[in-house]
Amino acid sequence: MVLFLYLPLAVLVIFSFNNNNSPVLPLKGFTTHWYDQALNNPNLTDALKRSLLLAAVNALAATLLGVMAALALSARRLFGRGFVIALIMLPLVVPYVVLGVGMLILLHSLGLHTSLQALLVMHVLVSVPYGVLVILPRLNTLDPSIGEAARDLGASAMAAFTRITVPLILPAMASSFVIAFTISFDEVAIANFLVPPGHNTFPTYLYNNARTPYLRPQTVAIGGLIIAASLLLVVLSEVGRRRAERGLGS
Amino acid sequence: MPVVVYLLTLLVFPIILIALYSVGLKTNVVYPPISYSWSDWKGFLPFLHSGPESVYFKRFTLSIQITLIVSVSAVVLAYPLAFFLAFVARRRRYTLLMVMLAPFFTSYLLRIYAWTVMLPGHGTVNSALEWMGLVNSNNPITFFYHSRFAIGLVLAYSWIPFVALPIFVVLDNLDFRLLEAAQDLGAGRFSTFLRVTLPLSLPGVIAAFVFVLIPTTGEYITPYLVGGPNDLMFGNFIQNAFTGENRWNFGSVLAMWLMLVVLVMIAVSSRYLTADLRGEKH
Repeated sequence: MVLFLYLPLAVLVIFSFNNNNSPVLPLKGFTTHWYDQALNNPNLTDALKRSLLLAAVNALAATLLGVMAALALSARRLFGRGFVIALIMLPLVVPYVVLGVGMLILLHSLGLHTSLQALLVMHVLVSVPYGVLVILPRLNTLDPSIGEAARDLGASAMAAFTRITVPLILPAMASSFVIAFTISFDEVAIANFLVPPGHNTFPTYLYNNARTPYLRPQTVAIGGLIIAASLLLVVLSEVGRRRAERGLGS
Repeated sequence: MPVVVYLLTLLVFPIILIALYSVGLKTNVVYPPISYSWSDWKGFLPFLHSGPESVYFKRFTLSIQITLIVSVSAVVLAYPLAFFLAFVARRRRYTLLMVMLAPFFTSYLLRIYAWTVMLPGHGTVNSALEWMGLVNSNNPITFFYHSRFAIGLVLAYSWIPFVALPIFVVLDNLDFRLLEAAQDLGAGRFSTFLRVTLPLSLPGVIAAFVFVLIPTTGEYITPYLVGGPNDLMFGNFIQNAFTGENRWNFGSVLAMWLMLVVLVMIAVSSRYLTADLRGEKH
């Protein structure tokens, strides 16, 4: 079963180095030719750069908005809490194709064209619920008397927040950042509606060129690279987390 | 609260706009002009018009069938995995869980893309079978790709870990004394599973089932990439109405219908979803 789960990943990584333009067995020998080709294809590299920038800005914006929402929700009294929670979690259940269509119609009603900014706005929308889901539980475990102590000792509300609350929720904010980055970097269902012509993100580039055979080897190469890099990140962060936990335990 | 304003303008307001489009109160074309009309709804829903079912509604029922098959297969494949992690791999289970989940922190789109490399007639899987002498190169297995089988396989593959996780959580939190009691009272391993473990894990199973059901209903990426021209799902028709055919009013009817179906699914299953949350707190 684990083999089955890893098979597609292994295929991308292995064939990215295989000296044959079709992905067939037996393997024909080692080459980095496809990586050269991929890195010299401006359509592909531009799409990658756009996606990296989009994902980074999205991660930042969604995390900030998520912190603000989580702070409001952690307040002891909040008018219409049930409604606000339902509203924030709504993007988790609305099909992405409906979100894409809705934004397209909204842009049209406002007389605007499709743009990466419009896509960014939607990526923030679908990332915020995840941010709230990781930040709010962390905020709720904090002892309110810590903040009160800071205020008693003369800190302004802002100082108490930036010097006490933020450091304590920083790990949750980091998780929110990583999740939001990943969502945006991988998102194609909404992007298909909002990416302007000639401005593919990496996912829409993949989607639009998946049926172009001569581009396949270089796409496999970049895909293999991204897969390997993200697996490495997952393993490293897990090892780091366990080390940290062991450190706290001893 | 900024986030409320954000969601109202960019989520709720656009859905209202879609609703207005679906009844002709807004439009993106000059002709026909704006006029209140249910004709697009009537053309789509079989119980609102006489005569044969529209192709779009047929496509909707087909998508629901594919979705149900995918959800059931994902649960059937994931249950043994969750069971193994919870009961057999006692000490190493969190490490193994991590190993199982790791591929799913990598790009979902790239994993679908990998299947488009593996499944075709001249793809990796067929070439491997040829290499082993199981398949003739002039006569590769074609149902692997551009088929409903491919859609089902790739979607079920994508969902297995998400399905295994809630089932694992429920199984991992089961009270072992109940299982021991069943065995002390003379139940065999199999009947313990069938009459104690399985019923107790049902909330997790239903939650997992719904986690797959809801997003798969509107899915259009996987059918486009690995399905054949006759296997496109409802989501593809919605996309095409907006980006290909320029029939926004009719496309809005399809989008509203999808929204309604998903909302009904959530309403029906919410009882089980909250039951699952209560189960986790033991």
